[in-house]
Amino acid sequence: MKIKAKLKGDIVKVKALAKHDMMTYNQAEKKTGDRNNANFITHISATVNGKVVFDASTSQFLSKNPIFKFQFKGGAKGDKIEMTWVDKKGNTKTDKSKIK
Amino acid sequence: MLRRNFLKVGALAAASAVVVPQLNATDFRATKPDTWSAHTVEDAIKGLYGAITPIESGVTVGAPKVASNGGAIPVNVKSDIDAKTVAVFQDANPEAAVIVFEMNEGSILNYDIKMKMGASGTITAIVEGKDGKFYKGSKTLEVALGGCEG
Repeated sequence: MKIKAKLKGDIVKVKALAKHDMMTYNQAEKKTGDRNNANFITHISATVNGKVVFDASTSQFLSKNPIFKFQFKGGAKGDKIEMTWVDKKGNTKTDKSKIK
Repeated sequence: MLRRNFLKVGALAAASAVVVPQLNATDFRATKPDTWSAHTVEDAIKGLYGAITPIESGVTVGAPKVASNGGAIPVNVKSDIDAKTVAVFQDANPEAAVIVFEMNEGSILNYDIKMKMGASGTITAIVEGKDGKFYKGSKTLEVALGGCEG
């Protein structure tokens, strides 16, 4: 996952790219013959200093390698931002970055 | 050997301690399963919020009028409403729900995502305000090349 977080004024703008196939049920059926092979990110969240600043439950209709842009108040330069996603098969990935 | 075991236990304990703060967030896939399997926008909204009549103002959905690639359509949802949750739906794919954001302290309602649409259709965003009211914004767009099968 690529994370870019930038402080502008008192607002932190974050851009994150999660690497994931985001395979829908139809795609899974076409490629593997089984709808149950679908796999996509189901939940993604971001924390700064242990506080949740972004949280979303997602479906299969986000693009492949989906991009999330969001903004929040209350971050400072140098703070660590941590983002985690969970997919339908239970895989998780966590990445860290710093607010610039 | 003993020390190795001790370290293992310590690492496990540390790992589980790190995961805990994230459990504050609501997993809408677990709490509202009906939303994600609903085929129409109306049913998906009903599954998430119950029977509501949203006010059609205050929410802006930004998307290109004609999307050349249905596999990655940039969509922006923006509003000044003091909100609890934000949900995005569309009516071109087999199921309607796309994403549900949960707002936290300090969150600003200005989200950009990239989504897939199999055909031309309408994107609907519902904002659940802290005042208990619901607001709706929508955007109809043409999709030149559907992106759900490829």
